[in-house]
Amino acid sequence: MSKPILTVKQLTKRYGSNTVFENIDLTVNEGDTIVIIGPSGTGKSTLLRCLNLLTKPDGGQIWLDDQEITAKGTDEDHVRQHIGMVFQNFLLFNHLTALENVKLGLVRVKHMPEKEAETKALEELARVGLADRAGHYPGQLSGGQQQRVGIARALAMDPRVMLFDEPTSALDPELIGEVLEVMRKLALEGMTMVVVTHEMGFAREVADRIIFMEKGSIVEEGSPDALFYHPKFERTREFLWKITELYGKKEAQA
Amino acid sequence: MDFSRFIQYIASGTAYTLGVTLIALPSGLLIGLVLAFVAVYGGKLAGKIMDVYSTVLRGIPPIVLLFILYFMMSGAINLSPFWAGSISLGIISSAYQLEIFRGAILSVSGEQMMAARAVGMSKIQAIRYVVLPQMIRLAIPSWSNEAAIVIKDSSLVYAIGVPEILRRAQLISASTQEPFLAYITAALIYFALVFITNRVLGRVERKLTIPANP
Amino acid sequence: MKKSLVFLVLVVLTAALVAGCAGQKAESVLDKIKTAGKVVVGTSADYEPYEYVDEAGNFTGFDIELMTEIAKRMGVELEWTDMPFDSLIAAVQEGKIDMSISCFNYSEERDAQVDFSDAYYTSEDAFLVTEAFAGTIADPLEVAQYKIGVQSGTVQDDWVTTELVDAGLMPESNLSRYERVDQAALDLQAGRIDVLVADSVPAKAIMQQQAGLKIVYEGMLYTGPINIVLPDGDTALQAEVNRIIKELQDEGFIDALAVKYFSE
Repeated sequence: MSKPILTVKQLTKRYGSNTVFENIDLTVNEGDTIVIIGPSGTGKSTLLRCLNLLTKPDGGQIWLDDQEITAKGTDEDHVRQHIGMVFQNFLLFNHLTALENVKLGLVRVKHMPEKEAETKALEELARVGLADRAGHYPGQLSGGQQQRVGIARALAMDPRVMLFDEPTSALDPELIGEVLEVMRKLALEGMTMVVVTHEMGFAREVADRIIFMEKGSIVEEGSPDALFYHPKFERTREFLWKITELYGKKEAQA
Repeated sequence: MDFSRFIQYIASGTAYTLGVTLIALPSGLLIGLVLAFVAVYGGKLAGKIMDVYSTVLRGIPPIVLLFILYFMMSGAINLSPFWAGSISLGIISSAYQLEIFRGAILSVSGEQMMAARAVGMSKIQAIRYVVLPQMIRLAIPSWSNEAAIVIKDSSLVYAIGVPEILRRAQLISASTQEPFLAYITAALIYFALVFITNRVLGRVERKLTIPANP
Repeated sequence: MKKSLVFLVLVVLTAALVAGCAGQKAESVLDKIKTAGKVVVGTSADYEPYEYVDEAGNFTGFDIELMTEIAKRMGVELEWTDMPFDSLIAAVQEGKIDMSISCFNYSEERDAQVDFSDAYYTSEDAFLVTEAFAGTIADPLEVAQYKIGVQSGTVQDDWVTTELVDAGLMPESNLSRYERVDQAALDLQAGRIDVLVADSVPAKAIMQQQAGLKIVYEGMLYTGPINIVLPDGDTALQAEVNRIIKELQDEGFIDALAVKYFSE
């Protein structure tokens, strides 16, 4: 029985009088790949950003391994070293090469010596298939390449868990495949991952558990088979099959 | 009339012009840069204070501020015309540079900051390694403009008795009754200074440009 | 937000005003000069032949040579500070310069802020016009019908403002004030003003340097004696300067200087 890496209890987030989500419970075990799906604007990205404390929750608690990271006095910067994040818009540091992007956290945050950091960074770039682009700047890379560098950058910090915030939503269809392939490999290697996405093919194939969120709460949660073939709620089935229709076409093109 | 000696006299004011500029511009840079970061990252109150600073200093003609500092504050601080002039222009420039850098910082999207924090960097580290390097490149065109303005505004210190280019041109104009020659000489010198500055900064900008395939 | 801004500005400016007023010196400037071994003198070197620059860029002229001799007799070095004329009084007041020589005539307004030495020369006013000027002026007040130019801050400025504009003889819009006489002369040539009211000596100098000008009136309006401007209330310095001026007058030094610079 693998132990939980991320435990979320009663997490709540509000913006003014608007409740984004309320009383969310969630457990992510070591090696799990959790995929969160749901209509846009339903709080999925916000939830993800609460997990690494980029956004402050208004209620509830989060544990990373045994440490309650929502407790007062937590060194948030330190916590974020152990949680990797990949963004929809890649968000590479535009003034640095691919290699420097991956290296920056190692040198400045982990205080790794130059040589060691350089070696590790090249390894991570090779892992995502971009060792030959080490000297390129983000402006010289395609979207798919940029996102893969973004993944390498997060991986370089050797995180306990990787968070993916709609990693392929900003990509042209032909470029989605290369990114999903990297993510699939990661999952197979045993990385603990929480992925917010619309890519149903990926969800079906790679997820250990799918969570369907709507209007700020979890509607249903279960294995891909369970949700796709024996959903408990009509709404779940509706959403899944509509999305599959739309994105199935995209996948066929990729 | 041998005007060449008069031209020499006017040109020798360049040392003073450069002196004033080389004190005013860097001090404006230092103050403006620090205040810009305070304004963007220092919280609401800090932001409001910076607004007042910027609005007041940019709302008063530089020459008026010059007189205030030189004449009115004499009781408290005794400064020579050169230093009073240079420091005043530096303070004024800092307000404009504050706005230049503030705009540039805000142009480096908040998402860059978020990505830096996600890798575990503190706010200070994120500012230093991610925001600042990108912000500088964005600021250069406007800053080049401000540098030209400070060079030209340095002529204002004529009014408090610094023997720089403009004052010398005025004296020659009065002596020789040849205003055209005197002021054209001054104009050419100022133009040359501004032109050279813009070219140098243009080269700096090109050197710092991040490669990209459009 | 706007109200607090205004308040803040007022606070700052008031503080500056107070700071400015607070700087009253108790000791005589004469002591300071003797200790430093130099006297800092302000002038506005755009007023030939009283003070102007030569080809090499040196200050020269009647006032310049006179002050050079005075400093010599005080036993100190002389450091010139040149600035626009209307800044000089404030500079003496604020102690930026020890004294000023710049063809100053006495005026009550000035006396409120600074002191004067004894007169070292006497000057007159002149009305400078273009050759094409058709009028004649018997009484100086007749000039009120024309567009007049003066140098800002001079007694000529005072005279026109008080005797003509304030007295209702001339509309304010017909009066143009210039930072320097040579600017006024340019406008005179261009026809923007009809009459330039200035000290007669510089007026004649301009007339000689430029073609097409003439003088239609000479006389003493607010002019008369010219003096050195000194810090207010500094009797020790005043006594010393007056002593030297008398010396130079008795020796004929000043007369010789007048011949050198004012002969036509």
